[in-house]
Amino acid sequence: MTTDLVFREVATWNVFDANVRLGHSGVHGELVLETDDLLNEMDRLGIQRALVSHFAGEEYDAEEGNNLLAGECHERLTPAWAALPDLPFIQKLGARNPKAVRLSYGVKKHNFSWAPWCAGPLYEYLEENSVLTLVAREDIEWDSLSRLLGDYPRLQILLLETGYRAERYLFPLFKQHPNLHIETSTCVAHRQLESFVERFGPMRLVFGSRLPLYTAGAALAVLATARISDEARLAIAGGNLRRLLGRESP
Amino acid sequence: MRSPVPIFDCHGHLGVHPDFPAWKHSPEEMLQVMDLLNIEILAITSTRACYNDCPRGNAEVAEVLRKYPQRFRGYITVNPRPPGEALGEFARWSHFHRPPLIKLHPDCHQCPVNGDHYRPVWDFANQTHAVVLVHTWDSDPNCGPLLLGPIAREFSQARIIVGHSGVTWRGYEQSLAVAAEAPNTFLDITGSQSHRTILERAVARLGAHRVLFGSDMPFLEAAMLLGRVLSARISDEDKEKIFRANFESLLEEG
Repeated sequence: MTTDLVFREVATWNVFDANVRLGHSGVHGELVLETDDLLNEMDRLGIQRALVSHFAGEEYDAEEGNNLLAGECHERLTPAWAALPDLPFIQKLGARNPKAVRLSYGVKKHNFSWAPWCAGPLYEYLEENSVLTLVAREDIEWDSLSRLLGDYPRLQILLLETGYRAERYLFPLFKQHPNLHIETSTCVAHRQLESFVERFGPMRLVFGSRLPLYTAGAALAVLATARISDEARLAIAGGNLRRLLGRESP
Repeated sequence: MRSPVPIFDCHGHLGVHPDFPAWKHSPEEMLQVMDLLNIEILAITSTRACYNDCPRGNAEVAEVLRKYPQRFRGYITVNPRPPGEALGEFARWSHFHRPPLIKLHPDCHQCPVNGDHYRPVWDFANQTHAVVLVHTWDSDPNCGPLLLGPIAREFSQARIIVGHSGVTWRGYEQSLAVAAEAPNTFLDITGSQSHRTILERAVARLGAHRVLFGSDMPFLEAAMLLGRVLSARISDEDKEKIFRANFESLLEEG
C-alpha cells in the first residue's frame, strides 16, 4: 500500500498541475512548501510539472510576488504571474513574456473590478498575447464571468476552484463560451468528472491539485478512477494545459 | 487505483440533493463504484431524511437494505421535530442494525445538537450503545464540533462519529480537541476539503483507531477520500485500520 506503488500509474501521465502556489502565506502558514519540498511532494505523487503562483503576489504585493516567483524559477515550474490592471504594471508584466497570469480581483486581495472599464487594457494585452488567464471562482461572480467570457472571446480563461456544486452555472457557460476551462481540484462530487466528460468531452478540464493546501493525492485519485478513455485522462492530466499555454503539443 | 483493503465506509447517502445534479446515484450505480474502488460495506443515510422527510427517507433506506443486505448498512435518520417522531422512527426501523446506527443533521434540521429537542435522542443512543453519526461544520451554532464534547461526556455509552470532522482546517482542530477529551468520539474524514497533513495530525494526536473512512457517496466522490488516505504519510497498518477495521469494530460492538 506504500504511496509510491499506488501512485506509480500517475507518473506515466505526464501530469501538469495547474493550481499550485509557492512561498510564505499569512493565512496558511503551517501548510506552505518551499520549492525543494514542493518538488519532492510532486515526485512522491508522480506530478511532472506545475503552473505556480506566489502567495506573496496574491496576499501582499503583486510585483514583489512576481519577483519572488522569478527567483524560484525551475524547469518543472511555469510561472502564473500576478497581474494588475494599470498600464505601468502591464508594461512590467510584458517584460516577463508571460504565458499565464493569475488574477486576484477580491477586495481583500488586489481589489479591482473585473469589468472592462477597469481591467480592459489588461484583458486586451492578455488576449493579444495569448496569455492563459487564471481566475479563482471566489473572486468573480457568475454573471461577471459570463460577461468577461463574452466580451473577450479570444481570452482563454481557466476558472480555478469552482466548487463541486456549480454545474447549473457551468453547463450554460460551457455551451456559450468555448474559451472557458475549469481546473479540477474541487470537482469532487460523486462521479462528477466522468459526467463532465460524457457531456462536454475532456478538452475543457485541466488537472489541478491546490497544492500545498490540499493533498494532491485526492485529485489524482479522482482522475485515476474516472471511467473515461485513456486519451481523455491524459488530456485532463496535462495535455490540455500544455495546449492552452501554447508551449508544447498536447 | 483501488483500495488494497476492502473498505467499511461509515458515511454514505441515498438519494439526490437540491443544489446540484446527482450523478449515477441509484443503488445499482453506487454498487458499481463500490466495486471499482473496493468498498465492501457502505453505511447509508437518506438524503431525503436529511433535507425534508425522515419517515419517507428511512423507508427508502429499508428498501435498499432489503435488496442488498450484504453491501449496505442503514442509519436511522431522525429530526427532533416534531417531538416524538424520532423515537417512533427508532421503533419502526429497529431491524436496520444492532446496535442502532443513528444519523443526525442539525444543520439541515436547524436545531442545535446540544439543545433540549435532541435529549430524547441522546438518551436512546446512550441506552442502546448506538453509533451516532452527526453532521458537523466548523463553529456552526447548530453542529459545530465543540458542541459534541459535553454530549460525549454526558452520554458516554453512545459512540459518536464526528461527521466530516468539521470540514475546514479549523473545524478539524475543533474536532481533534473534542476527540482528545472524549474516547467515545471518532473522526469521519469525509468532506470536500482535502487539507494536506490533517490526516497525519489526526493519527498522531488520537491514534489511527479513532479515525474512520467515510466517502459521502453519492454526494461526494469516494475516490477523493481513497486518495487522501493512500497518499497520507502514515503506516500501512494505520491505513488498514482507517479503511476497514475501525468501523467494522463499531458495527460489531454493542
